[in-house]
Amino acid sequence: MRNTARRENDGTLPHPPSPSRKGRGRAGIWALPTGTLFTLLLASPAFAMHISEGILPFSWALAWYLVLVPFLALGARRLNALAREDLSLKPLVGLLTAVVFIISCMPIPVPTAGTCSHPCGTGVSAILVGPLVSVVVAAVSLLIQALFLAHGGLSTLGANALSMGVIGSFAAWFTFRVLRRMGGSLGVAGFFAGIVADWATYTATSLFLALGIRGDAPLWPLFAKVVVAFLPTQLPLGILEGVITAGMVTLLYRKRPDLLVRMRVITEKEGSVNA
Amino acid sequence: MHHHLSTHSFHAGHALVQVDARVKLLSALALLVMVITSQGAAFPLFVAAAGLFFCLRLGTPVRLLALRFSEPLFIAVVVLLLKTFFSGNAPLFRFGLLGYELVAHRDGLDAGLLIAGRILGGVTLLGVVGFSTPFTELMAALSWMRVPQVLVDVALFAWRYLFLLLEDAQVVYHAQKNRLGYVGCRRALASFGTLAGVMVIKAFDNSQSITTAMVQRGYDGVMPMSMHRPLRVAEVGSALLFVGAMAVIRLI
Repeated sequence: MRNTARRENDGTLPHPPSPSRKGRGRAGIWALPTGTLFTLLLASPAFAMHISEGILPFSWALAWYLVLVPFLALGARRLNALAREDLSLKPLVGLLTAVVFIISCMPIPVPTAGTCSHPCGTGVSAILVGPLVSVVVAAVSLLIQALFLAHGGLSTLGANALSMGVIGSFAAWFTFRVLRRMGGSLGVAGFFAGIVADWATYTATSLFLALGIRGDAPLWPLFAKVVVAFLPTQLPLGILEGVITAGMVTLLYRKRPDLLVRMRVITEKEGSVNA
Repeated sequence: MHHHLSTHSFHAGHALVQVDARVKLLSALALLVMVITSQGAAFPLFVAAAGLFFCLRLGTPVRLLALRFSEPLFIAVVVLLLKTFFSGNAPLFRFGLLGYELVAHRDGLDAGLLIAGRILGGVTLLGVVGFSTPFTELMAALSWMRVPQVLVDVALFAWRYLFLLLEDAQVVYHAQKNRLGYVGCRRALASFGTLAGVMVIKAFDNSQSITTAMVQRGYDGVMPMSMHRPLRVAEVGSALLFVGAMAVIRLI
């Protein structure tokens, strides 16, 4: 194993271009990975983890804020209404925000996109507290990250909260509900909800980026290129997020079904079966 | 991450820390708009340099600054390279790399510098605000700016218990690791799912105990915010002068 690793390493050591035949051969070995890398680099610059401060032009940054505001207002209203019934709900949403903050702070480098990807965590919050309150969770989590970690930014908060909070949460919630209605188990529904939340978030992010940076270029080819730039990390990350979401939901079901009943994720009957 | 987030403790005596959070936040927002709407790279880069200067003057350790700004800096550099070599029409210079010829373009470089400048300018601006303002004051300022109270409340809860959850997560993680929970991909994934689930369970349990403790202290669903002292004329005047001077520099 060690020898194999050494041999592989020897074969991939970077050599300066050489006019010799041997050198040209090595350049040939490099051609495929380098070509792939350049193709992805050529794809377009994608800037997430989340969309960084200063990337979006002012008009687009403002537009995404305006789209976000109604969802955020509805989420705040829903949370206020729920908190009136149950005083522990606001602290709970605050703690869930901290959980989403921690989950979405795990950066995975994306060399082809020139940035980092990360799990979103909004799939779980959407399943537990509903998509509207999950918008609040995502927006607050992103605000803290922008102010204190330089992840994302204030000007791009509208776009980031829209992709992660609104699109990610609603996609996860609908997927979870539909699969549960179709008789899917908690694990399966959670798995696909996590995947859909992650991939929907990054598809939306790619669209926002393409719209913001395209200039005079046509939109859809640029959008496709941004998506391609994200694919190497986001495909496995989405599956990872699906596994994490499924793990969380099934663990809650095994250990604390009462919590899932309280959040109306499962019925009392289902909860009592496991209790 | 604890050290990464606890930023204001080591420069509490600096003059910028004494400035009202509302004044700082509004000034930063005004400058942020100027940076993002700037059509040239010079102004955003000037703001970035000034922001970095203020961060250092605040006594922020260089290591922390490097950690905080490494990601946006990386993004800015990649954007600059991509724009320079893969966009634009006016050739600036060319060189060979692994049998390929790369051509740098003057207009691409300008476009890249503009975006990179905006990223760095915006990030350092927020850095100055973050390094010089305690979280609670920032939230009070947002509350004063009519941000819905429920969002501020959630942010305060999240901030307060973030560290608690991080500690819990570390304890669980080390326990899992000691029991070979991260040996192999499948076990690692299962362990990570369990870790995340345990955090949610702890969040639920903590929310119950926090609510009980808070109700005993008079909590009725609304978090009390710190009272705002009247804004000082000198503070507001200085901020207006500063923002005005930056606007003039931007026009130049």
